[in-house]
Amino acid sequence: MVKAFPAMRFPHFALTLLLAVALSPVLAQAAGTVDFNRDIRPILAENCTHCHGPDEKDRKGKLRLDVRDDALKEHESGVPIVPGKPEASELIARVCSSDRDDVMPPPKANKTLKPEQKELLKKWIAEGAEYRLHWAFDAVKAPPVPEPAKAAGAADLVEWARSPIDRFILARLNQEGITPSPEVDRRTLARRLSLDLLGLPPTPDEVETFVSDSAPDAYERLVDRMLASPHFGERWGRHWLDLARYADSDGYEKDLARPYAYLFRDWVITAFNRDLPFNEFTIEQIAGDLLPDATEQQKVATGFHRQTLTNREGGVDKEEFRCKATVDRTSTTGTVWLGLSVGCAECHSHKFDPISHQEFYQLYSFFNNASERDIPEPTAQELAEHQASTEVWQKKLTELEQPLQVYLAQITPERLGEWESTLKLPAEHWQVLPPARLAAIMEGAEEQFTAQKDGSIIARPRDAVRTRYRIAVAPPRGATGFRLEALADAGKNVGSGKDAGFGLSEFYATIELPGGETKRVNFARAAVDFADDPKGAERIIDDDRTTHWTVKKQAKTSHVAVFELAQPLDLPEGARFELHAEFFTEGVMSHFRISATTDAAPFTPDLTPDAIREIVHTPADNRTEAQWKKLTRYFAEIADDEGRKLNEAVLVHQATKPVLKPTMAPVMAADTRSTHIHIRGDFLQKGDEVQPGTPAFLPPLQPRGPKADRLDLARWLVSSENPLTPRVRVNHIWRHLFGRGLVATENDFGTRGDKPSHPELLDWLAEDFREHGWSQKRLIKEIVLSATYRQSSNWRDDLAQRDPLNVLLARQGRFRLEAEAVRDVNLAVSGLLNPKIGGPSIKPPLPPDLAALSYAGGLKWTESSADEQHRRGLYIHFQRTVPFPMLVTFDAPESNVACTRRERSNTPLQALTLLNDSTAVECARGLGRRIALQTGTTPDQLRYGFELVLGRPPQPAELARLQQYCDQQSQAFRSDPEAARKLLGGKYDGDPAGPATLVAIGRVLLNLDELITRP
Amino acid sequence: MKPDLDLHEWVNRTRRDFLTTSASGIGGLALASILGKNGFLAPRAEAGTGPMMVHVPHFPAKAKACICIYMEGGPSQMDLFDPKPKLLELDGQKLPESMTKNVRFAFLQKDTARILASHRKFERRGQSGMEFSDLLPNLATCADDICMIRSMHTEQFNHHPGQIMMNCGSPLMGRPSMGAWVTYGLGSESDNLPGYVVLTAGRGTSAGAQNWASGFLPTSYAGVLFRSQGDPVQNLSNPPGVTAEMQHYGIDAIKDLNSLHQKAVGDPEIASRIASYELAFRMQSSAPELMDITGESEETKQAYGLEREEPTIKAARGGGTGSYKSFAKNCLLARRLVERGVRFVNIFHASWDHHSNLDVELPWNAGMADQPIAALLKDLKQRGLLDSTMVVWLSEFGRTPLGENRPGYAKVTGRDHHPFAFTLWMAGGGVKGGTVIGETDDLGWGVVKDPVHVHDLHATILHQFGLDHERLIYRFQGRDFRLTDIAGKVVKAAIS
Repeated sequence: MVKAFPAMRFPHFALTLLLAVALSPVLAQAAGTVDFNRDIRPILAENCTHCHGPDEKDRKGKLRLDVRDDALKEHESGVPIVPGKPEASELIARVCSSDRDDVMPPPKANKTLKPEQKELLKKWIAEGAEYRLHWAFDAVKAPPVPEPAKAAGAADLVEWARSPIDRFILARLNQEGITPSPEVDRRTLARRLSLDLLGLPPTPDEVETFVSDSAPDAYERLVDRMLASPHFGERWGRHWLDLARYADSDGYEKDLARPYAYLFRDWVITAFNRDLPFNEFTIEQIAGDLLPDATEQQKVATGFHRQTLTNREGGVDKEEFRCKATVDRTSTTGTVWLGLSVGCAECHSHKFDPISHQEFYQLYSFFNNASERDIPEPTAQELAEHQASTEVWQKKLTELEQPLQVYLAQITPERLGEWESTLKLPAEHWQVLPPARLAAIMEGAEEQFTAQKDGSIIARPRDAVRTRYRIAVAPPRGATGFRLEALADAGKNVGSGKDAGFGLSEFYATIELPGGETKRVNFARAAVDFADDPKGAERIIDDDRTTHWTVKKQAKTSHVAVFELAQPLDLPEGARFELHAEFFTEGVMSHFRISATTDAAPFTPDLTPDAIREIVHTPADNRTEAQWKKLTRYFAEIADDEGRKLNEAVLVHQATKPVLKPTMAPVMAADTRSTHIHIRGDFLQKGDEVQPGTPAFLPPLQPRGPKADRLDLARWLVSSENPLTPRVRVNHIWRHLFGRGLVATENDFGTRGDKPSHPELLDWLAEDFREHGWSQKRLIKEIVLSATYRQSSNWRDDLAQRDPLNVLLARQGRFRLEAEAVRDVNLAVSGLLNPKIGGPSIKPPLPPDLAALSYAGGLKWTESSADEQHRRGLYIHFQRTVPFPMLVTFDAPESNVACTRRERSNTPLQALTLLNDSTAVECARGLGRRIALQTGTTPDQLRYGFELVLGRPPQPAELARLQQYCDQQSQAFRSDPEAARKLLGGKYDGDPAGPATLVAIGRVLLNLDELITRP
Repeated sequence: MKPDLDLHEWVNRTRRDFLTTSASGIGGLALASILGKNGFLAPRAEAGTGPMMVHVPHFPAKAKACICIYMEGGPSQMDLFDPKPKLLELDGQKLPESMTKNVRFAFLQKDTARILASHRKFERRGQSGMEFSDLLPNLATCADDICMIRSMHTEQFNHHPGQIMMNCGSPLMGRPSMGAWVTYGLGSESDNLPGYVVLTAGRGTSAGAQNWASGFLPTSYAGVLFRSQGDPVQNLSNPPGVTAEMQHYGIDAIKDLNSLHQKAVGDPEIASRIASYELAFRMQSSAPELMDITGESEETKQAYGLEREEPTIKAARGGGTGSYKSFAKNCLLARRLVERGVRFVNIFHASWDHHSNLDVELPWNAGMADQPIAALLKDLKQRGLLDSTMVVWLSEFGRTPLGENRPGYAKVTGRDHHPFAFTLWMAGGGVKGGTVIGETDDLGWGVVKDPVHVHDLHATILHQFGLDHERLIYRFQGRDFRLTDIAGKVVKAAIS
């Protein structure tokens, strides 16, 4: 649980010095005036505001230093800051003090200010101690594009710059006297672009076409082709799914699969492919359901916040984990759109950024006013299959109805009259009470019930250990009793017990008064139509949970129980009335209905349907045709063997009516809950009630109605005033194309995050993005067309010391591909890739002992068909407690929280995966086969294979080394043909040495660093 | 204008990726000394590079390695470690309502629950006179090496959150495990094996791989699962038809081709890739060598009980047939791993979740665990490894002194989850043997003396590794995270 910030104790300032030396020209520049955001804010944030900042609870000496007015006021020990007079400022006195009791930060904080930091503070106060809004909270202001300046020795670079982006980059490089790198060769450029835009290598044809296209717009056309490829959505959709913490299972103990999670993934892929503007993209995911006339797809988009974890472990408090999911929705929204660590304010006000504890819960309440729902989203195939089976069923029904109709036609009114006179119907009148609200005191139980049109409720069969149905109903004024019908549907049993009966242990009512007091109402008397034990009826009201009413001996028929109240019900205004049916070990009722009466007791436990009773109570002359029909049919149903048989056949068939079981999309839907602050983040400790709202330091929310909702929040996120969203998004996109964001802490644009390396460029891009309709494709195109993007990524020794992290972008980045892309390039170059887009997740082979690690070894991992197994990595079923090993080995996120940046590790397990994993071997065989199809000399084949894999011809030294390996390997296989045969997969009729050598060649090529690296 | 200094990334990247030989111009050595002076965990100069390079701890360490034996499900402390004779007196009685008020249970019906006395016999053992139940006769002979904490407590009363609380310090998914933190902080001494190894026996645990996850730390720090059958490490074996010699040819060719490309593009990361292939190749022989216990003496094998007869049991909760052998082997492997410089070993066994059938299943589980764990402690001691190796018995919580009367059970034969007071123990790695920390009340319901929270235990374990739990920090999504969140106090009485 996030409780507070631990102290930051890394010795960063020593490192500051280290780097400052490395970038010495820069240091010289900083010697001018003090810039609050650049120089002072980091000192305050790192050292002071933990105790003298936004969090009112931890604030010491009632002083906050993050607000100028407060810092200038007289405090207990003096005036902290006197503008223009550092010598009179208590702040300076304290940070410079050598007295352990006086010095700030205090010794126990383990922080000390460097002399140069103290100097900066003095200088800043001397210059007037001006505060400025933290850069990221200030409005986006696009600066003018710098004129291409001719720095010393950089004259020819004016031509280098192709776009405004380049001019910003160049301006900065000029300041340092660093020259950018030249444009990379065309093959590498095509490869880089294809990997960045599609996550797949370019085909040799694509490369050749581009290399030989000398038109000036050749590159732009290549960019356009790739942006139009449907694989673009897969690549950029996967980036988004990292933020969405997408997975195919619940997480926690049971970690049940979410078979329809993929609908959200499909939505994301499509949204990127059709370039859904980022503002609409945002609105639909946060609040698509609230849009006027929301389409199904707009609702599916809200699946973004259905990716939270669900804990279905026995005995957990569901509300606790609902709150946790809501907290996650709040924090994730903050991280993904605002780039703020909003979640830090879950337990207390934020220590560094101006987000109060109350404001966190105001944001939280937007999501608290929503609930998880699954809506039908039938596929075309499901609809077609349903229609076909319904037709077959209908035909059969007609066939069965026919003899019944013949039978019914020959029943005379006399015969009916005779039968009617034998009926002994109860005198009281029952009124069916449909459920107002229904819950069961057992986890995950709400979904177990469906209300029927006739007021009854169908419960899905379940394990009946300690289950209580709690049914809120609205009984009539002065009710005298209740009736509980346990209905056995045609061909089915009445309960879920071993003998398919049920065991009702207690039935009682509760009244919750408006004040919150609840009292229990027991029934005075009960009667049942049948019980295994003559005392069955009493057992329901004996207040002993271990005794119950069972009907094992007649489990195939309906049953009924009636209950008398000791005195007529007199419900006060606003009281809530609930009936409770407790079941113990013998099964629950599968289908039941509640009715009430205001007639006088005693009541008769009679099974005759209410409709029939009504007909019988109607004088024969007044009955309608429909009533006669119904009565006749009922007669057939119960009074005569032949009729019963014919009728039952129809009823049994009717029960088999095909039901459309559609794909169910997980979405969010509006709900209302009151939201309280959770004191110290504990959901049980409720503080003040709060209303939906956004943090005060950001532009105001403009709600459509009196109470703001998620749609208002979504629109606020992408409003033209919001300074964070466009900057954060532009930065994400930039990072995917350079390996590093303009703001390196892409998840923290707050006061402790890094400052942008190119603040003007960031703002220029943010405004440009917003001005051009939030088009992500356009932004990506703009970036990849720049000279900055097209630079060589070759390492430069001259930069190694000055800019080892490549912050200034004097070259492109070179970095390992993400897990999915590593898989995809392997499948693609070996000719195995199945490029199918979208649809349910796939399951490539998983070692069985890994599945056994899941809870009680319960994970069922049914491998997909061979063809499906070779689809792209983003379609692999992601089971949160048993994540797919290849993906995890290559740093795919664990998908429990939003991942804004993947790690790029380099481990022996990765090497073992690429060398020995079964998919790797398949790929090597596939590649070997492709090489074998290329006729010619061995060097020709080697050259061909090399080019297939890396998209460039080998250098002579590379070819020679490959040839050497080929010779070694071929000799080894010639002397061990059995080994060669095994590598080929077992059977091979001809001489296996040659083909096996090609597979081995393929295996080496597929293990080259260059293949899995974006150049 | 001053460029963005981006220190955090700089530090992390430097630690993880930069090679001593890198073209960055800042040699690992020089950097190490600069970093070291400022209190950062400095890489030990001679220890190579990469994520597992060995780092000097914050202060001198007692422990170099840790073996965490995780008994999933919540073993019953009053039937194993914490004798409560008072329960015999009160057997079958209800608890006063004041004790159960405001208490949440997973399954137990507190209005009708009654006290269930232990059917075990306890005896004082060793010079320290530490009490053990008759279910742990072998472990009891190690009493004077064990520090038993009878006053453990946690807030988590469900398995999955409880397990990740105990292993990762938080009930929420997504945090790094203890082993990940320790290897992140210190690296590993082993050149041929992963720094953090996981062994499992029995059925799957509730929290699965979350228990050894790297969370937001780089994946390099996640536990590597060693399997008892087939390849000990996934993908360790060459593909069919590829002999060791051919593998050598292949890896050499890969290395040379990668080197040629590095010459062309200059990226030092390629050297890391080459190094990772070489380590992989070494692992291909060192991991099977590790798993191959045929070289162990007959005496050793017998001591660990590898060939013991396994009593039959009908329930599957203890892990089913074969668990005795696989658990014993895991204990032996743990010693072999530590011998080879592996930093952190997890042994998982599921499950000890005895809601019912306690008197049948607990003896079965204890019978499985007792002999091998005792053998492990003695074996480590005899080889002089116990002083530098912590062995810890962990679980997510304990069990109630009340019998579990979950509706649907014909008889009360088990206990529910109990987070308020339970027992764990540690041995070796500078832990004070023969010590009992804390006390529970007469019923074993609550802690009455020296409570030890999960965070305190974590702080203590890190401390033995020379790590200050308040300084072992990783910044993620704008927040500084620790294994111990914002709490944790080293249990001074437990360490010498």
